[in-house]
Amino acid sequence: MQAIEPTPEPAPLEQPAAPLGRAIVITSGKGGVGKTTTTANVGAALAALGKRVVLVDADVGLRNLDIVLGLENRVKFHVLDVIEKKAELDDALVRDKNLETLYLLAAAQTREKEDVETGAMIALVEALRARFEYVLIDCPAGIETGFRNAVAGASHAIVVCTPEVSAVRDADRVVGLLPNDWKPELVVNRLRPALVRKGKMLSVEDVDAILRLPLLGVIPDEPDIIIATNKGRPIALEEHSPVGAAYRQIAARLAGADVPAPTVKVAEPGFFAKVGAFFGGR
Amino acid sequence: MAGRRIVITSGKGGVGKTTTTANLGAALAKRGRKVVLVDTDIGLRNLDLVLGVEKRIVFDLVEVVEGRCQLRQALIRDKRFPSLHLLPAAQTRDKTSVSEAQMDALIGELAAEADFVLIDCPAGIEHGFRNAVAGAREGIVVTTPEVSAIRDADRVVGKLKERSLPHSLIVNRIRPEMVASGEMMSVDDVRDVLRTEVLGIIPDDEEVIDTTNRGEPLVLDPNQRLAPIYLKIARRLEGEKIPLTRLESQTFLTKLFTIWKAG
Repeated sequence: MQAIEPTPEPAPLEQPAAPLGRAIVITSGKGGVGKTTTTANVGAALAALGKRVVLVDADVGLRNLDIVLGLENRVKFHVLDVIEKKAELDDALVRDKNLETLYLLAAAQTREKEDVETGAMIALVEALRARFEYVLIDCPAGIETGFRNAVAGASHAIVVCTPEVSAVRDADRVVGLLPNDWKPELVVNRLRPALVRKGKMLSVEDVDAILRLPLLGVIPDEPDIIIATNKGRPIALEEHSPVGAAYRQIAARLAGADVPAPTVKVAEPGFFAKVGAFFGGR
Repeated sequence: MAGRRIVITSGKGGVGKTTTTANLGAALAKRGRKVVLVDTDIGLRNLDLVLGVEKRIVFDLVEVVEGRCQLRQALIRDKRFPSLHLLPAAQTRDKTSVSEAQMDALIGELAAEADFVLIDCPAGIEHGFRNAVAGAREGIVVTTPEVSAIRDADRVVGKLKERSLPHSLIVNRIRPEMVASGEMMSVDDVRDVLRTEVLGIIPDDEEVIDTTNRGEPLVLDPNQRLAPIYLKIARRLEGEKIPLTRLESQTFLTKLFTIWKAG
């Protein structure tokens, strides 16, 4: 697969009415590690800070961001409707139930990823950047057409990874496919400190030793995330949830606040002798 | 007689396709069947890690298809079960390196020599999915009891039906205590939505993370809680009538689905 060309920066405007927003793709390679959950919750937490945020579901054919936000009944138009000029962008944007500055642009459910042209995706993200401070793009699993389209319009990446060898291997592969001049940031999701202590799960240090990415956040594994996802209310809005708190920290850090680096209380680092070795077998 | 050609698929990633492929394969091999596991996740292979054979890969599926090695040279025999084999995916190529016709021919060649060819499908429904399904004659859809996983599974069930592939369902990572408290969908809920015969129910077990990291399918260890469950699924797959373990039925989340199921 060819390396993805970085998105060309738009020509600077004479007197911009508002600064162009930041387009960030949330990606992972492996599926089921928490891309959609992270997109929804980082978006919700940014919006709770008063930022104008749009979430773009790039998983054409297997959309889920609408469910996680509880907005599935309000979706009228989707990304492809906008690209194919069957709907205006304003009509396709769905406003969140809880947060006034949070919007969703849903994916088409009955179309294929190959129906989206990369150039059209870049133009769409540019249009969104003119209206929003943050454009968060929820990338599909894998590294096929859907991945390339999701990355094309962005200028920054958040790589989500769970502390499992297969997820770390896939994340490493994805980092290698991102433009060379990007500095992707890492979110380690679903950490169980008790398992790390017993030596049955990779530690954040183990993951960091392989991926070598700046750490944006660490999310603990808690059953309340499943409940929140099924109910369609982002856990980032739950004041007393440790998962919610971890997402709010990520949002604050993205927004430029000086939040100390995430720490996880684990007595000893994990000790998987395999970790270093399994990257040798390419 | 040619062996069975079964694709393990899900739509959504991370629901347990690769873990299911490895453990079901090991369970069938433990029953004396000749089994080939095929990793079709070109570019993001992981089945080799789960089986713990990542350092023994010399050739891969793409090299076989391109005629750069013999099929038997690329097959890795499991040291614990001599009748279990892996055909690994290529890691530095992409999914368009193989066509549907090539995959179909390759799986056919493997099935001529094996009792079971289990095809580990990539996440999504793009080129990689179409390739994996092209080689199969039946499917196992893996899902977890979460709204997003079930919606994706529904989409995949539709695609298997379009191709007239018979299929059954494995509901993975059930937490009975969460089902009992109404915080997780029950197997009945999942079956009602997907209208697909259930082949197996697998409880959530944190040991899976550890055994996966160590590359040891848990079917190997009789002390593992899940080992007998995979063995039962293997027997059911071979036609034995073994009743499913019943879990309490909770249906209050089912109504969430009626809207998008109707659409």
